[in-house]
Amino acid sequence: MTVLKSFSKLLIALTLFIGALAQAEVAVIVSASNGNGSLDKDTIERIFLGKTASFADGSQAIPVDQNEGNAAREAFNDKVLGKSSSQLKAYWSRLIFTGKGTPPKESGSDADVVALVAKNPNLVGYVDAAAVDGSVKVVYKFQ
Amino acid sequence: MALKKTALAAAVLLASSPLAYANDLKINGFINVTGGVLSNDKISLDGYDDNPSFDQGTLMGLQMSKKVNDSTSATVQLVSRGSEDYKTEASWAYITYALNNDTDIRAGRLRTPFFYYSDFLEVGYAFNWVRPPSSVYRLDGLSSITGVDITHRFNIGNVDGSVQVYTGRYNDDFALNGDIYEVELRNAMGAVFSLNQGNFGARVSYHQADLSFDANSLVTNRILTTADINGNIGVDLTDPTAVADALKGSRALDSLSSIAELRGVEADFIANKDKSQFYQASLSWDNGSTALIAEWTGLKHDTALLNDDTAWLVSAAQRYGDATVHLTYTVTEDDLESGLVGQVQKNAQSEENSIILGLRYDYDSSTALKFDIQHHDEKLVGGTKGDSGFLYTVGMSLVF
Repeated sequence: MTVLKSFSKLLIALTLFIGALAQAEVAVIVSASNGNGSLDKDTIERIFLGKTASFADGSQAIPVDQNEGNAAREAFNDKVLGKSSSQLKAYWSRLIFTGKGTPPKESGSDADVVALVAKNPNLVGYVDAAAVDGSVKVVYKFQ
Repeated sequence: MALKKTALAAAVLLASSPLAYANDLKINGFINVTGGVLSNDKISLDGYDDNPSFDQGTLMGLQMSKKVNDSTSATVQLVSRGSEDYKTEASWAYITYALNNDTDIRAGRLRTPFFYYSDFLEVGYAFNWVRPPSSVYRLDGLSSITGVDITHRFNIGNVDGSVQVYTGRYNDDFALNGDIYEVELRNAMGAVFSLNQGNFGARVSYHQADLSFDANSLVTNRILTTADINGNIGVDLTDPTAVADALKGSRALDSLSSIAELRGVEADFIANKDKSQFYQASLSWDNGSTALIAEWTGLKHDTALLNDDTAWLVSAAQRYGDATVHLTYTVTEDDLESGLVGQVQKNAQSEENSIILGLRYDYDSSTALKFDIQHHDEKLVGGTKGDSGFLYTVGMSLVF
C-alpha cells in the first residue's frame, strides 16, 4: 500500500516534471458551482493583486496562490501578473505593513488548489491544465 | 473508553487554546541596514557627516496582526531605529473594523498619510532608494498620529480607487535641523484620494492642523542683552552678523523669535494653535520594467515662525533583470512673506536641490541591496549661500 502510494507520488512528480518541460498550459480555475463563465486577464490580475475583491457578478472573489517555487506559480506571476517574485514581494510589502492588504494564501500544489477551489465558489486559483477535473471550471488559459 | 475521553478532552482543549489560533496571528517584519558618508561636512543631510556611520538609517520593524473576529483585527508595528538609539516604539498600533468589504475604520496610532511613500516609508524593500529623499519627505517627526481613519475602496470599470480621511492629535518632541522642539498638532485632519488604472497611478492629499511650537525668545534674549562685568552689552543689536554670531548654538527658532523681537514683529513669530496646511499630488507610471514618479508637495503656515515651502521630486527607474537603475531630481524652496516679516524669515530661508543616482539589486525575493550617490546643493542655508557635496549611502533591505 505504502509502496503503491509512493509509486503514484513519484508518477505524479514525474508527470509534473515532463509537463513543465513541455511548457505546460496553465488554467485559471473557479469552482464548478461558481456562476461566472470566464474571466479576462485584467480581472484576474486585479483579483490576485488585491485591487478588487469581487467577481463580475458581484460575489466575493478570494485568490489562492500555489507555494513558492511551483512551476504554475512562476508561470502565473510571469505571464498574468507580469511581475518577478521580488517585484511582487515589494508590491505586497507596500500593503502588508499598512494593513491595506495581504497576499493570497499559499495553498500547496496543483492537486491542493483544485481540491480547495472545488469546495468554495468564492475561490479562484491556477493550476497546470492537466490537473483540471470536473469539480472545477476553467475561466482562463495561458501557456 | 476512558483513554478515548481523555484524548477527546485534550483535542478540545488544544483546539480552543491560543496555539490552535496561531495561524491567525500574522507576523511580518522588515530590516534596513544602512551606512552613509558625506564628501564634506559643510552640508548637512540625513544626520550624516564625513565619517562613515551606520546608525542614521538602520532600523528594524516587527508587525503583528491578529484577527479578533470576522470584521475586527488588531495590528501593532514596533520599530526600533538607530537614529533614536534603537529605542523601540510603536509606529502603528490600531484596531481595524471592516464596515463592509470595501470600507475599513481604524483607530489608534496611525501613520500620517502625507506622502505617496508615507505608508511604507520605513520598509526599504518597498522602494528603490536607500531612503526616500529627505528634502521632500520632510515631516519625519510627525509621521505617526493618534486618531481615527476611514478608508473606502471603489472600482469604476477598470479604475481602482480609494478615499481615506483621518483625524487625530499629535503631541511630542519634534526634531528640526538638529534642534528638538515640543510640538503639538490639534485638530489634525486630512483626506487622501488615489486612483489606479493599469500602469498609471495618481494620488492627491490635503492635510491641516492647529500647530503649537515651543519656540520662544526668553533664552536668546538673555544672550543678546546680558551685560558684561563693565556694564557693556556685548552684542551690537544693530549689526545682523554680530547678532547671528551671538545666537550660534541656540535653537534656530528661538533665535528667530529674538530677531523678530528686535524688529518689532514678534507677534507674527508665535505658533500657538496656528493653522498649518500641507498639500500633496503625485503621478506614477510603472509597467514592470520602467517606473516613473513625480511628486509635488507644499507646506503653508499661518505663523511666520516656520517658512512656507514647496518641495518636489521626479524619478525614473529602469529594471534590468535583478538590477534596477534609478535617477531622481529634487527641489526644495522656501516661500517668504512680504515686508519686515519676510526679512526676518530670511534668516531661516533655505533652498536646496539634489540629484540621486542609485542602483538596487534584488539578491533574492526578500533581500535587496542598494547603493545611492546623492549630489546635494544647498543654495541657501539660513538666508546665506550654502555649500554642495555628495552623500554616499549603501543599504540592505529585508522583508519577512
